Amino acid sequence: MTPIRQQYIAYTYLCCIAIAPPLKTTLADDEYFVRRIKPILMEKCEGCHGTTPSELKGGLDLRTREATLRGGESGEPAMVANHPEQSPLYLAVTRKHAVWAPMPPKQSEQLSVHQVESIRQWIAEGAAWPDPDQIKQIEVRNAQKWSVEDGVSLASSSGQSADWNRRKYKKDDLWAYAPIQKPISKQQKENPIDEWIEARLPVGLHLAPEAARVNLLRRATFDLIGLPPTHEEIESFLKDPNSTPLAFAKVVDRLLESPHYGEKMAQHWLDVVRYADTAGFSNDFDRGNAWRYRDYVIRSFNNDKSYFDFIREQIAGDEIDASDPEKLIATGFLRMGPWELTGMEVAKVARQRFLDDVTNSVGETFLAHSLQCARCHDHKFDPISTADYYSIQAVFATTQLCDREAPFLPFENLDGFEEKKYLDLRKKDYVQLLRDLDNKLLTSAQTWFEEHQLSSKDWNEAVEQARRQEENNSKRESGTIFSSARSILMKKGVAEDQFPPKLYGFTTNDFGLERIGRKGLERLKWEMERYQPFALSVYTGPTPELKSVVAPMRIPNPLLNRDKIEETFVLIGGDPFTRGPKVEPRPMSVLSLPEQPKIPETAQGRRSVFANWVTDPSNPLTPRVMVNRLWLWHFGIPIAGNPNNFGSTGMRPTHPELLDWLAVTLIEQKGSIKSLHRILMNSETYRRSSTHPEPDRLKKLDPFGTSYGVFRPRRLTGEEIRDATLSVTGELNRKIGGIPNRPEINASVAMQPRQVMGTFAAAWVPNALPEDRNRRSIYGLKIRGLPDPFYELFNAPSADFSCERRMDSIGSPQALTLWNGKATENRALALANRVLKNGKKDREAIEDCFQLALGRKPTLSESDLCIQHWQKSELLDEAKTPKSESPWTSIVREAVEENTGERFEFRERLYAADDFIPDLRPSDVEPRVRGLAAVCLVLLNCNEFVYVY
Amino acid sequence: MSINKGNSTPDYTLQALDGRRSFMMDLGSSLGSIALASMMTPSGRANSGEDSQTTKGPHFKVKAKQCIFLMMEGGPSHIDTFDPKPALEKLHLREFVRDGEQKSAMESGKRYYVQSPFKFRKVGQCGADMAETWEHLAEVADEICFYRGCKVDSVNHPTAMYQMNCGNRFGGDPAIGAWVHYGLGAITENLPSFVVLPEVSFPQGGAANWSNGFLPAEYQGTPLRAKGMPLLDLFPPNGTTDEQQRSNLELLRKLNQDHERRHAWHQELSARTASYELAYRMQMQIPSILDLQSETEGTREMYGIDRDATDSFGRKCLLARKLVEKGVRFVQLYHGTWDSHDYIERAHRNLVRNVDKPIAGLIKDLKRLGLLESTLIVWCGEFGRTPDNGVRGGTAYGRDHNPNAMTIWMAGGGVQAGKTIGATDELGMAAVEKVAHVRDFHVTLLKLLGLDDNRLTFYHAGRHKQLSQFGGEPIDDLIA
Repeated sequence: MTPIRQQYIAYTYLCCIAIAPPLKTTLADDEYFVRRIKPILMEKCEGCHGTTPSELKGGLDLRTREATLRGGESGEPAMVANHPEQSPLYLAVTRKHAVWAPMPPKQSEQLSVHQVESIRQWIAEGAAWPDPDQIKQIEVRNAQKWSVEDGVSLASSSGQSADWNRRKYKKDDLWAYAPIQKPISKQQKENPIDEWIEARLPVGLHLAPEAARVNLLRRATFDLIGLPPTHEEIESFLKDPNSTPLAFAKVVDRLLESPHYGEKMAQHWLDVVRYADTAGFSNDFDRGNAWRYRDYVIRSFNNDKSYFDFIREQIAGDEIDASDPEKLIATGFLRMGPWELTGMEVAKVARQRFLDDVTNSVGETFLAHSLQCARCHDHKFDPISTADYYSIQAVFATTQLCDREAPFLPFENLDGFEEKKYLDLRKKDYVQLLRDLDNKLLTSAQTWFEEHQLSSKDWNEAVEQARRQEENNSKRESGTIFSSARSILMKKGVAEDQFPPKLYGFTTNDFGLERIGRKGLERLKWEMERYQPFALSVYTGPTPELKSVVAPMRIPNPLLNRDKIEETFVLIGGDPFTRGPKVEPRPMSVLSLPEQPKIPETAQGRRSVFANWVTDPSNPLTPRVMVNRLWLWHFGIPIAGNPNNFGSTGMRPTHPELLDWLAVTLIEQKGSIKSLHRILMNSETYRRSSTHPEPDRLKKLDPFGTSYGVFRPRRLTGEEIRDATLSVTGELNRKIGGIPNRPEINASVAMQPRQVMGTFAAAWVPNALPEDRNRRSIYGLKIRGLPDPFYELFNAPSADFSCERRMDSIGSPQALTLWNGKATENRALALANRVLKNGKKDREAIEDCFQLALGRKPTLSESDLCIQHWQKSELLDEAKTPKSESPWTSIVREAVEENTGERFEFRERLYAADDFIPDLRPSDVEPRVRGLAAVCLVLLNCNEFVYVY
Repeated sequence: MSINKGNSTPDYTLQALDGRRSFMMDLGSSLGSIALASMMTPSGRANSGEDSQTTKGPHFKVKAKQCIFLMMEGGPSHIDTFDPKPALEKLHLREFVRDGEQKSAMESGKRYYVQSPFKFRKVGQCGADMAETWEHLAEVADEICFYRGCKVDSVNHPTAMYQMNCGNRFGGDPAIGAWVHYGLGAITENLPSFVVLPEVSFPQGGAANWSNGFLPAEYQGTPLRAKGMPLLDLFPPNGTTDEQQRSNLELLRKLNQDHERRHAWHQELSARTASYELAYRMQMQIPSILDLQSETEGTREMYGIDRDATDSFGRKCLLARKLVEKGVRFVQLYHGTWDSHDYIERAHRNLVRNVDKPIAGLIKDLKRLGLLESTLIVWCGEFGRTPDNGVRGGTAYGRDHNPNAMTIWMAGGGVQAGKTIGATDELGMAAVEKVAHVRDFHVTLLKLLGLDDNRLTFYHAGRHKQLSQFGGEPIDDLIA
């Protein structure tokens, strides 16, 4: 276990202690039993040991003292008064005993440390257990007092049981619903952030000094634009005669104006909303237009769009202004989850999957509430009832998926659309393939008639008719004459034994190829959508009856069953076929804003009213959630430990005043995210060094690393490592936005055959031109079923679940990929070439490499080491002649054919590879450059390169 | 996969794939000591989870310590393998219509009952039902416990696969192998504890089928690719000599040393430096672990290696045995696709032939080596198939997906060998006896490996999560 993780465990544990009820100190024994022990027995034990007397587990009844003393099948009393260590009841709940199995059996239901101790103490002190009448009297006598002690009751009537409605909440668990009040600053600090941080600084802990300018610049540059600072930027900052705070404020302003700022922020946002360019599951179809949503997010951050508008547009852009393509694009948010409807699946189940997905996603993203916990039952810990869940879901009951016409906007990047020609070529292949197979069938058909000694006259006529149909109808898929002829005869009522059966005469390979062609065309429809002015969006209306979705969806025209709005019911156990009571659309009941909006029951307008509720200035969740994320993005840890979960199971804020002060500030700044960056980054807290003068003391006084007395260093993300590497070699194409690109990824993965429904997904073929491949990582085509292993290794989240915070692990597979991978090899060579092309020699060249890669000059000994290594590598290199490389232009895939279970093979042409222009290759340069590349490879792998301090 | 080059100059873009094609199964030398598992140990993880299984080891004493999971992806037909349905003979090609709200497009239209094209016979002392296509497995029938009562929730491949592999239909949760590694810990530090031997083509749903989910990254299944480099980037680009590599490492170490001196408090740095040294050793030594050439001709024959129909799966089975011998905790083998919507006779005959001899060989070999007692073998798909079929592409009949009935079998450590537990209805449409949800099967599987599903939990996103999702009951009839 690592130090950081221990901190979290310990932290969680401390929280438990802090909120646990007091141990037995003031209560009389009988009262203590009623107050503390009876509830534990009822909640944790009686389900199996009492509630149903006929089904007692192990024959043990724990409802009365007598029964408990009698014990169960073991024959031993379950409890020995005054002797907890001899009492199975106690031993079982400790979960540590060799003989008595842990109770309750489920770990998730285990007693808290505190409850176990209560049981021990109770038995040790004689195990008082009043009779039922006494219990009742004690309860009545203390009802009011205990009620106050137990916490807050929320007037709710939406729960499925009265117990749930009456449930008490610890005040502390409800922190996130409390109205935000701006904490009063004593104005001791110029930047209030420092005030709130220092107010909670552990006594005796000194603050780390201000970071060195060079570190500070690197930190801020990676934080805001995800790239390293250039040499000129470093020089200019180092030479700025102003005080560091003043000079740094200018840097922050400059970076916030960079168009790359939006790219960096968008990456954070896309982690939360689960962005991908494909739909996942069986087909993993392309979402051709998802990129427009990605660019919308980038634009929104770059334009400093009010966060509240940003929310409204994503939830209800189409309702706000359907004539504005930008607003339609924004609703791509609602479509981010994986979704499909195959012919195998019940349509209603798939529809419900969308509704569940979008409900939970809205909850997690904007309100930090994982609403799905309430899908099957009232939330176990939070004041969210199942009725609440389905009422929020009702907001989306009239939301329908579609790829909606949305003309391209002047500020959208439409470069590179000509790559569609490669898809056209593929399409042509598939069409030809299907035609050839069709001809083969038609030939076999003649054989069939001969073999069966039947006349082929009717058949031939049908074939001719089918041919004419195909010629006259350009939209008709090709290669279907054989099957059309069969349909024609069937419609005429000709018996099925009078003409050849389906796919007659096919070999294993033919079966396989037919599927490749047919499904290939289907898949292309989705891919070709990329170059069309459509947006991944939604519309409002009745729920269409779908059987399967195999092509991009359009708005039905006219809307069918216009009046038949989908009704929403509580679904018992989350099962779409088991309806409970009907519910109306409404927001979360626990948050009663001063003016709770009425969500219309008509189809239109549900989402926009809901979005207004989310963004209402009196909604305390929304701004807290966002400023918490922003804090995380700068400081590496959030103020409230679970940015997607502000419920009672999420971690409490370490600095609640700070969180609220920031939340109020976000509202005051009218949702300006850039203002928040300025405030956060121009604090002493942000400018602090990552090296503490007293590391031992720091460890002791701040074991959880939440004091902010020192700045927390971080490893670059996979995307940042790639972008930084391309940036230092000068190969990075800094163009903003546009259709996704396909960089070179690990070749094994690129060519990895991948099953999708009924066929194989196409290979990953990198863009033909280096400048198209070497774009920023955020633009890489993100395929759910084919994650780029590089990012995966460096902890990029999968697109299945919202990622509130990236993990950060170290492992040898990372080393293998950075050390042996082709990408780093290419970059190292490019860096060496860049430096030597500038005419630099020996020591100067090494200096340049360091300056570019690490932003500093090498020390003399570093320089010596590198020169030696360069020379040695050059010598080692002389023995070999590097081969030049060209890409594979086709691959032959072997596969098991579904119909026959036999192997078949097909050739996949990789058209873009025909035009492939490689990055700089070892064979393009002198041994001297290759020798220096060995030095560069090491620099791009060293710790200094991948950490930010 | 073979690769065809364009007409351009020779190249090495994918040479590693090609040049090392035989590499995975055929290189030979002795096993060195590398510490892969410890290499995978993350450091400084910003963790939102809590490790509740800090002490590794079984919760109760059992025989099985390791598991070989034979995943027949695509959904093998129980009706045509281990669960004969003579009642279908009378109904063969009788037409009927399926109806009701829960009907999918797959099930709509005209449907026909379809009898099994395979003859069945009773095999072994126990008299287990097996289609005649299982020639070799019949010889070890008495080692096997068949279970016919399992039901799953999904009719689509990836969601059903996710559920079988990870407990959760939508993916993203840890796979069984990850849980088992997490619960029992590693036997060896030299190899990953959860190894996956996928088909050349990855199954629907891809690598999420062997995901670590919310468990720390070291619990992720490590796929050893059937072709190409077994592990990604295991070797440097072509032409890089060993001397060059060592020299590179030396420079890296020195530069990192200086940096670490300046950041002495930053513990991650030394872990990262170490990960490079270990990666290098892994690169040197993994090939020998994958060597199958050193096995005797007799052993290779037993698995059907070098025979067309069985070579591919035979190699996987033999490799699985070797990995288990070397201390890998959980090996999952993929074979498929068993998705025979049409032409089931041809397809299932071929598929059974692919795996019959290799699996029988595996069981016999493990027994011979005394490893069967301590190894649990599981055979299953993601669902079973329907007794009826609509007319799809083909002319000969097959079967559609059926989440309500399937056959799962287990052999080895602690299973009720020689028994058939549970039953499906007369037509094989649904399980009717000893019916249990897949989550109960998961609980049983864990129990056989000494793990209590209710205690094998990980605190994540506010909940103690477990393989069975919400808990289940073990199917004790399957356990000896």
